[in-house]
Amino acid sequence: MNKGKIVSIHSFRGGTGKSNTTANLAAQAAMAGKRVGVVDTDIQSPGIHVLFGLDENKMGKTMNDFLHDKATIREIGLPIGDNTDTTEGRAKLKGKNLWLFPSSIRGREISQILKEGIDFNKLNEGLQTTITEFDLDYLFIDTHPGLNEETLLSIATSDILIIILRPDSQDLQGTSVTVDIARSLDVPNLLLMVNKALPKYDHAELKKDIEEQFSAPVAGILPLSFDMAENASSDLFSLRYPDHEWSKGLRSVAQAVLALG
Amino acid sequence: MHDITSQLKNTMIFRGLSDEALSALAQKASTRKLAKDAVLMRKGDPGDSLFLIHNGWVKIVTVDSKGDELVINKCGPGETIGEMALLDGSPRSATVIALEDSEVLELKQDVFQNVLDQRPDVSLAIIRGYSERLRFATTYIERAIDWSQKTAEGDYSFINQTQPLLNQAGSNDDKAAQMLSAFFAMVRKVKEREEGLKQQLEKLTFEIDQARRKKEFEEITGTEFYTQLKEQAKTLREKRKQS
Ligand SMILES: Nc1ncnc2c1ncn2[C@@H]1O[C@H](COP(=O)(O)OP(=O)(O)OP(=O)(O)O)[C@@H](O)[C@H]1O
Ligand SMILES: [Mg+2]
Repeated sequence: MNKGKIVSIHSFRGGTGKSNTTANLAAQAAMAGKRVGVVDTDIQSPGIHVLFGLDENKMGKTMNDFLHDKATIREIGLPIGDNTDTTEGRAKLKGKNLWLFPSSIRGREISQILKEGIDFNKLNEGLQTTITEFDLDYLFIDTHPGLNEETLLSIATSDILIIILRPDSQDLQGTSVTVDIARSLDVPNLLLMVNKALPKYDHAELKKDIEEQFSAPVAGILPLSFDMAENASSDLFSLRYPDHEWSKGLRSVAQAVLALG
Repeated sequence: MHDITSQLKNTMIFRGLSDEALSALAQKASTRKLAKDAVLMRKGDPGDSLFLIHNGWVKIVTVDSKGDELVINKCGPGETIGEMALLDGSPRSATVIALEDSEVLELKQDVFQNVLDQRPDVSLAIIRGYSERLRFATTYIERAIDWSQKTAEGDYSFINQTQPLLNQAGSNDDKAAQMLSAFFAMVRKVKEREEGLKQQLEKLTFEIDQARRKKEFEEITGTEFYTQLKEQAKTLREKRKQS
């Protein structure tokens, strides 16, 4: 039994839009009728839970407890479709099959996890149990920037890896290493997504150049947008403003993911 | 020098009048000479007459928010000013000043209305003149609405299709035609600017330092942790493939 796919969203630098992208991709997949889970790896700082309108104080047990056999996965999954508020974008998720799995596998905690014997196989088993128990089609993981051990674990277990980059030399340089790592870890599907692209650049040309450089498809080029910045993670942007250029780009990435089965 | 009756006949309002009616009207009008810089009317004055410029040029001015004179238009021989005042007597909406020594024909509202009272045939012809003018304006407004929508959608194809129509319409005293022509000029400029912007799209050039890429890759993959992870990931992927 292994029908659900693990989709990791990563970027070389912080603040590229991983959390917003992850939440919106998950929402789009749920809107398309898929059963979707999202692992929130960062419940301390404003992460995914904020986008889904959840308060971190309400999140008792985490994936860590599950990995330490201190809780069942059922106790951890928060049903977003039953908890939607009246915020315009989020309200559309009412009744959809979408669950949030809070976790906190950050920095020091990862070495603790490793020390306590939760290795790659255990993590992977945990994720597979999550998929099976909730009968998920997709399990999205919002990772931390950079290539630390935690991120390497996520990449190694992914069926699909989405790398988000901003169109500048520093990000392109960093992304090149991530692409090489993903290939080295045999990730079956690699998608690139450009976010915060200035409208003054020729997007078609940019897509071509990046695809040539990394031999991987660019599933979307999403513009730097004042509206997006102003939204400041207060709502699921692509559901609230479906006709916006950013949302169109996001949907094209969602479609690329869904097309992979 | 232009003949006054033929000048009257060329205006849209009076064009339907017979020569006899036109000369009757011309006789009721008085001629005024204006020296250069003389003020023909001031904004806010009671509007009680129509002027036909016989010869010379005048400017129509208003005052902008900073108090500076703003020329909205210039009028020359054969053009009329204040034709609406003949009917509604509303105050002057702008000031008119002679640009050079000029001669204008003034038709007073009461004189004009006497003619209308006595000559139903002239009344009818003048009503036709006004309504034709209105129809012209309405057609142009409809067109302007249509074109505004097209422009908003980025469809500029009408610029090429409609040019001849404008040239035909070129009657000087027709403000609607002038508005349309200004509209046209605006759309053409907008289109040009937009095309200019498109061409300004920049190409982002980037170069990847391959040596650095290799070095960083080796730093990550050279650890015990990574070697073990790669092995485990490999086993996992094989297992997934089988199931
Ligand atoms: N295309 C965009 N245009 C403008 N602002 C954007 C865009 N995408 C994301 N943002 C803004 O950038 C900020 C960072 O986004 P987000 O939290 O999704 O990034 P992240 O990669 O998860 O960050 P971190 O690395 O800190 O976890 C947010 O305030 C978000 O609203
Ligand atoms: Mg984040």
